Amino acid sequence: MIEFTLWDIVRNLALAARWTVVLSLIAFVGGGLVGLLLLVLRLSGRAPVNRVIGAYVQLFQGTPLLMQLFLLYFGIALFGIDTSAWMAAGVALTLYASAYLAEIWRGCVEAIPRGQWEASKSLALSFGQQLRHIILPQALRIAVPPTVGFLVQVIKGTALASVIGFVELTKAGGMIANVTYEPLLVYGCVALMYFVLCFPVSLYARTLERKLHVGHR
Amino acid sequence: MKSSKRSFLAVLGCAAALALGNAHAQSALDGIVKSKTVKIGIPTDYPPYGFVGLDLKPQGLDIDVANLIASKLGAKVELVPVVSANRIPYLQTKKVDLVVSTLGKNEERAKIIDFSHAYAPFYQGVFALKETQVKAFSDLAGKTVAVTRGAMEDEMLAKVAPKETIVKRFEDQAATTAAFAAGQTQVIATSVSNIGMLSEKNPKLGVEYKLLLRDSPCFVGIAKGEDALRGRVNEILLAAKADGTLNKFAQKWLKRDAGELPL
Repeated sequence: MIEFTLWDIVRNLALAARWTVVLSLIAFVGGGLVGLLLLVLRLSGRAPVNRVIGAYVQLFQGTPLLMQLFLLYFGIALFGIDTSAWMAAGVALTLYASAYLAEIWRGCVEAIPRGQWEASKSLALSFGQQLRHIILPQALRIAVPPTVGFLVQVIKGTALASVIGFVELTKAGGMIANVTYEPLLVYGCVALMYFVLCFPVSLYARTLERKLHVGHR
Repeated sequence: MKSSKRSFLAVLGCAAALALGNAHAQSALDGIVKSKTVKIGIPTDYPPYGFVGLDLKPQGLDIDVANLIASKLGAKVELVPVVSANRIPYLQTKKVDLVVSTLGKNEERAKIIDFSHAYAPFYQGVFALKETQVKAFSDLAGKTVAVTRGAMEDEMLAKVAPKETIVKRFEDQAATTAAFAAGQTQVIATSVSNIGMLSEKNPKLGVEYKLLLRDSPCFVGIAKGEDALRGRVNEILLAAKADGTLNKFAQKWLKRDAGELPL
């Protein structure tokens, strides 16, 4: 039987953590872009569009990410359409993150007093100009803490991608734990690595918040 | 909420329509011969059948069998890590051609997938610490039992254990073993070989064999209706049995003979 040293465990986990990082980045970028699009569509305010986006958000907030991954990977393949693991994970994470981000950001925009919209309109700014120069800069400041809170959740949520064959941090931890029979040590290392990934994100958020709030002190 | 339900139904409807238009695909064996690769689902958390080495590459009895089948098919093997809960969906959706993952045969599974001949022996049992009193299945009443969701022992246990048994199900063998080793459950239902390794690594734990759940050899899983592929796999396994290869694998990984393998 092979013996894993602590270095072997850490080295293998670090290699597997690459997938966790890549999956997180897909979710951040994809979810951010689609979320922003949904936000703008929703703010432009046509009732049927709003209802469709509302349903989209409800659907993806109301179902577990695990099921979304499972259905996208296995469910669609049952109908004879071949989905690769990358595509399924990318699409599922993007849909999931965009639904949450669209809702978080909508709340931030709605927190901006109505008068800001009215005042900017009275200056003859178009909808795009209102968003770009008046509303979004103010909303951004409120949006940082909840957005980062959600992104940290997403990093940890990528562990679910192991169900469709990704050997990321959590899955690699499980595999190693079952050869070494030292779950406490292995899962301890796994937890530590997640912390190493998540903490800098939170730290950066704090710096960002300080920068954005500079006018308020 | 109502509108989201409606849109969900609409999505399902579209998917069903697509499915009808896509009923006939080529056979799996043709696909393997043409692409010269065969995708095989293997376990990575179930020593000694499938586990990882220092480089996280899978190894074990199931991996040896998978490699053997691939080389006899004249194809390059692509190993896909699967767990108990997702190996059958992998087969049904043809994301893998074969599953060599300590798969036991039962009626429910035979309805949705096909099986080859058996390729290795496998025993499942109930294990607990020495001081835990388990003499018969009725003693499990009121005790917590760790088991892997969707694995054969889960189903066997449901049949023989009394209603008062507190069954804790985990997603993979790693979590099941870890829960028992950490004392989260009093009893574990798993394979004899898995426990053998656990007590080898943790002699202090004092794990003891209590009851035999079932002697259920391993079969290769094949998607329903792929008879050409099943025929080829059976030929390969019969030849490997005749020339002693299967016995060699059993000796290498299980330290015992392959014994009587059912067809």
